[in-house]
Amino acid sequence: MFLINDLIMFLAADLVLMQALGTSTLFIAAGSKKNLVGTAVVITVFTTAGSAAAYIIDSLLPEKYSVLTLLFYTVTVGILYLILLSALYFISRDKFERSRKYVHVSAFNCAVMGTLFTVSGKAAQNSSMMNVGRYALAGFEAGLGFVLAALILTAAYRRLSSAKVPASFRGSPAMLIYIGIISMAVYSLR
Amino acid sequence: MNDTRTVFDGITRDNTVLSALMVISPVIVCGNTLKNAVAMIYAFSAITFFSVMISSFVPKRLPYAVKITIYAVISSLIYIPVRLLAQEFYPDSISRIGIYYPLLAVNSLIVFQTEAKFFRMKKLRMTASLFFYIAGFDIVMLITGIVREFLAYGTINSRMTDFDTLISGLAEPFGGFIFLGLFCGIYRRIRSAVMQSRDIRSDGNVSDK
Repeated sequence: MFLINDLIMFLAADLVLMQALGTSTLFIAAGSKKNLVGTAVVITVFTTAGSAAAYIIDSLLPEKYSVLTLLFYTVTVGILYLILLSALYFISRDKFERSRKYVHVSAFNCAVMGTLFTVSGKAAQNSSMMNVGRYALAGFEAGLGFVLAALILTAAYRRLSSAKVPASFRGSPAMLIYIGIISMAVYSLR
Repeated sequence: MNDTRTVFDGITRDNTVLSALMVISPVIVCGNTLKNAVAMIYAFSAITFFSVMISSFVPKRLPYAVKITIYAVISSLIYIPVRLLAQEFYPDSISRIGIYYPLLAVNSLIVFQTEAKFFRMKKLRMTASLFFYIAGFDIVMLITGIVREFLAYGTINSRMTDFDTLISGLAEPFGGFIFLGLFCGIYRRIRSAVMQSRDIRSDGNVSDK
């Protein structure tokens, strides 16, 4: 029972299902197992490291300059993006060639930037979250939420893209309706 | 095969939201009233237009990742005055829209389509094409805002109507997903019907010769 409650709470906090963040990237991730693993890993790295960096920005940036938050988050994600690409390049050229498309797709993405703003908003409401560990954990959970949503979509991806679906609704329109129905189910369980 | 691409593709054949599925989160979550839709249209249009135009001066020789980061930083800078003006014009909508306002500054049209599409065109064509891609988003956002507000709350721009069979779930994100899915399907159906009739007409023209 506790597990079910935890699962419902986890789903209810899912950024894709409840806030529609990173939906188009989700369609890319659900396309194949390789895309799912690649995108999920990179998005989770970005949300976790980005959230930890967001803690530093939130603690140092005075309230009256809050309009600059986006600029600092963007610079931070940009630096992470370049570091991750450079690290992959120096570790292995082969890995770099295989993984760079996932890094490009994930860096400046609603799922990543939305996570930073959501975590920051939660910390503003709850002061106990105001430490780097909690920020990073919340970012990691957001990454896992993306993986869960991608798995839910992967389960139906082939059927929603099959010839049995009317041509006009085949693929992305059917997937949007499918995610809407899952989202409605989670909404009713909250 | 002839290249039949036109500057109007952003509205008709390659709509930013309905065809390319870009910038769909704000449409799904914030496109539930006309007031929200108008506030989003203002921010998206201003940020995207000025960001892409300024970004077009970034040297092409730079590595791809560096250019993408610079584009995102430019749009984050453009966001600052846009946000300050929005606080004057749309103070209520800003608080309702929340995190989706800053997220407009890192939308795919600025970050990715610049390299893939706009910067491969000549400046004048790029400006016209960009204008219609932005208009493509604006039209979808406007229609979504009006229809969802009408069906969910029975109002249009906060004014009561006689419509009383309300579907309140349409104002929620799940309603946004379902509405956008249906909208995409209808758009595709109309687009394929128009393209088929064009093909038939062009075949007829060829046979006439």
